[in-house]
Amino acid sequence: MLKSSIKSNQTKLILKSIQQTTSIMKKILLLLSLFVIAVTSVKAATPTAVADTGKVGTSADPKDPPLIFFGSVDTYYKYDFSGHRNIGTSFATDQNSVSIGMVDLGLKKKVGKASFVGELSFGPRGQEQSLPDGSNSLDPIVGGASSYHIQNLYVSYDVTDKLNFTAGYMATFIGYEVISPTGNFNYSTSYLFSNGPFQNAGFKATYAFSDKVSLMAGIFNDNWNTYTSQHDVSTFGAQLMVAPVKGWTAYLNVASGPTSGTVFDLTTAYQITDAFKLGLNAADFSTAHGGLGYDGVALYPQLAVSKIVTFGVRGEYFKFKKGDNVTGITFTSNIKAGALTLIPEIRFDNTNVETAGFTKGDGTPTKSAGQFVLAAVYAF
Amino acid sequence: MKKVAVLIIALLLSYMANAQKSLLSMDENNKYIYYQVVDMPDIKADSLQKNMTLFMKEFYPKEKSLKGAGPEASVKDKFLTYTSLIKHENGEMAYTLNVECKDGKYRFWVTNFVFTPYEKDRYGMFVPVNGKDVSLEKAPDKLQKKDVEGYFEQTGAFCKQLGDKLKKYMVEGKTQPKVDKPVKKIVTDKW
Repeated sequence: MLKSSIKSNQTKLILKSIQQTTSIMKKILLLLSLFVIAVTSVKAATPTAVADTGKVGTSADPKDPPLIFFGSVDTYYKYDFSGHRNIGTSFATDQNSVSIGMVDLGLKKKVGKASFVGELSFGPRGQEQSLPDGSNSLDPIVGGASSYHIQNLYVSYDVTDKLNFTAGYMATFIGYEVISPTGNFNYSTSYLFSNGPFQNAGFKATYAFSDKVSLMAGIFNDNWNTYTSQHDVSTFGAQLMVAPVKGWTAYLNVASGPTSGTVFDLTTAYQITDAFKLGLNAADFSTAHGGLGYDGVALYPQLAVSKIVTFGVRGEYFKFKKGDNVTGITFTSNIKAGALTLIPEIRFDNTNVETAGFTKGDGTPTKSAGQFVLAAVYAF
Repeated sequence: MKKVAVLIIALLLSYMANAQKSLLSMDENNKYIYYQVVDMPDIKADSLQKNMTLFMKEFYPKEKSLKGAGPEASVKDKFLTYTSLIKHENGEMAYTLNVECKDGKYRFWVTNFVFTPYEKDRYGMFVPVNGKDVSLEKAPDKLQKKDVEGYFEQTGAFCKQLGDKLKKYMVEGKTQPKVDKPVKKIVTDKW
């Protein structure tokens, strides 16, 4: 009995001790929480490091920017009104399917005057739809089935404040639209984009005469869109940038070589008012041998109706030299929710002949095609 | 107990979020301004002016907008703003810094904030969007709320940092040239 009573008292004491310990623990936890918050608060109130806030003390205290990561992901649903895929421009290819675009991952760093950019992409848009095959296509094992995933891989050096040298594998300087969905207003792409170069590997020098005028000239691999030249580095490329008035930028581009052919391109955009922007792309391409190639022009008016919603139209005329032509009109909206952009889009294309490639639901040729796309793009 | 802790944490987080924005005030022209008057007892205006000129020359050596006449100076420049989740440039904020000196005190104010958003170009670089400038006063009407909060926060932090750097110059005057300390060498042949 006595033993039992002692045991009971001991249990009570232990329980009391546990309760006290728990209470003390709670207080410590709370104090720790407050301490952590206070420290974080002080850290938040203290201005971020010089490098994080940019040009503090531009020369007195210069610091290199940190290693920077960036990227995007995109997904889409497309329905072609014929019930099967008709419009053959790049990306948004899958019919009646919720499909993926790509994961785009980039990093860059600048130390002093030297910098690099590396940008990798994974997914249909970022592999077979926009990048060359990395392997030897004659290789019986990996030939035609290997991707290096590289969209941009280059190094750069600022020789002076005005002169820059860059070398590596780079997105092309030709054209209005780009591979990354974050760089385009429309989700589907133009014929000019799909038929033009995607990347050019080479070396270029850019000289900025002022904020309003710069000139780039370079020498690139003999073919577009290849990690390796076929024979030599023989495509000459140049870009004249002019910004005549605030909000207006124009690029006059040329790329010409004995293997790749010659493309002349004008890309310009003018933010005419806070809400209205007008873009224009025009190009002429001639193959190196023979008179084939294409001509085209595309107009991109866009109107922001609120800070989250913008409407835009792409009107395009495209013609293969000695071939058919197509006229396309695309109505697109960009609806922003933070880093996420929703892109509903409806597009109608019309060719001059029924034999150009569009077909109806029953498979018979037709001059026109139409499709609806709803895409979501998240940029980080 | 838990509820109290959660409440305190929530209040502190809210306070932290607004801390940097509250560093900016509105001036008589309804423009955002970071304004400070700093007492410098026993320091004459001409000494402060020398230190101010030194600061301006060292911090803005290439800035053509730098103006200085007597005890007053002003300069226009810009700083980069960054995204919060994964840090990369998302814009630049232009500003004007003004400094004035008197006997025993100086004042400075940072104002005329104009934000230019950046966009990623085809080469993976973040570049200004031409023609999309927006004053900080109009930013809440034209830019997304979450972004605007970030710009206010970073602007407040930048101004405070700039003020601290200016004060260091005003207090210490010309920075002392670095004296090379003799390097302590280890003699390995005697042991």
